[in-house]
Amino acid sequence: MNKYLRFVLISLILLLLQTKILQFLSIEGVTPDLFVIWIVYIAIKNGQAPATVAGFAIGLLLDLVTGEFVGLSALAKTLCGFTSGYFYNVNKTPQTLGSYRFLVVVFIASLVHNILYFLIFTMGTELTFSEVLIRYGVTSTLYTLALSLLPMLVFARKLKVT
Amino acid sequence: MQRLFFIIRLFKEYVLGASLVLVSLLLLSLNDNSQIRQIRSMTLGFVGTLQNAVSFIPNFFALKAENSLLRKSNVDLMDEVNQLREARLENLRLRGLLGLRESINYPIVAAEVVGKTSNPQRNTITLNVGTDAGIKPNMPIVTDRGLVGRIIATSANYSIGQLVLNRDFRAAAKIQRSRVDGILAWEGGQNSLLKNVAKTLDVGVGDAVVTSEYSSMFPANIKIGVVAKVTEQPGDLFKRIEISNSVDFSKLEEVFVIQYHPDPERIQLEEKILR
Repeated sequence: MNKYLRFVLISLILLLLQTKILQFLSIEGVTPDLFVIWIVYIAIKNGQAPATVAGFAIGLLLDLVTGEFVGLSALAKTLCGFTSGYFYNVNKTPQTLGSYRFLVVVFIASLVHNILYFLIFTMGTELTFSEVLIRYGVTSTLYTLALSLLPMLVFARKLKVT
Repeated sequence: MQRLFFIIRLFKEYVLGASLVLVSLLLLSLNDNSQIRQIRSMTLGFVGTLQNAVSFIPNFFALKAENSLLRKSNVDLMDEVNQLREARLENLRLRGLLGLRESINYPIVAAEVVGKTSNPQRNTITLNVGTDAGIKPNMPIVTDRGLVGRIIATSANYSIGQLVLNRDFRAAAKIQRSRVDGILAWEGGQNSLLKNVAKTLDVGVGDAVVTSEYSSMFPANIKIGVVAKVTEQPGDLFKRIEISNSVDFSKLEEVFVIQYHPDPERIQLEEKILR
């Protein structure tokens, strides 16, 4: 299957999961972000530029679907892709995906994404920066990090087999 | 150009990232919600602080343009101030003249002084009103300050006025306080003279001098001035009374001509008897 078509298809499936299913896993209004894991995967597999473009495209798609704050997800996910692209190493892609390094990248990318997203999203409210950081930034990051254990274990198993 | 492409290719990730962030920010700015308003106000505050912080650095090009603009503005304002000052003075003069118009019982014609002839013997003024406005010779000329002179010649649109400060000018006048009569005349200098006042009569410095009822040319009680100096020469029958004129003849601009016609019967009788 065409690489780009596969990318679009997976993104659409993740969009469905994110908007329709993951809301049932919400804890205190915080849900894990499947797209962050997906963008980190693209960054480690393909590099910084594809991850940045993918981040922007996915973010824009999400903005248009939810329609509540056009440009916010695009901005946050563009920077998420750009940040995770720094961990791209063409010789160590399987090792990165199947090890704790994947979790580290997800943590950093997710933290950048969430801080930026929630900082703008909660602007003008009575919430302070530390409240936003702890209540939304860190908890959402940890939730996403927990979910990213699944693909990491799959990639680790795949690495062991090969 | 090639070099530019090379640089772009070298930093393609950064160029791409910056471009997409810029597009995202543009999309964000299209929203009109409280968050964006907050960001706008914060950005404005930040830019304002930044501008304030660097404002001490002089921009010479801007300063030059600003100086030029200020200089032009200064000239315009000076011109405006002069015009306003002129208008204020004119307003004051006209207010005075308006007060005079109400106090005189004869028809009067407003006139502007359009010319002056000053010589040690005969001072005259040219007015912009003439026979077309009903001006005739011998009509009195006054301002709100007092007597100016009389009309001596007219044309259709102009007339010549003989000032009080003229050797040919004569008028019957009196001391307002003591009702002492005399003849108003001028022999040069700043002050007029009240002549033919006997040494025995009551005249003091500061007494107001006005036109007399005896005058066949001027209505009575037009202010002329105040007594400035009284001297008595030995061997002379009369006092020498100097009068400080109430009108400042060097600043005459607007005057009134009183359309005063002495009673012809009185004139005829006086001429008949005096002949």
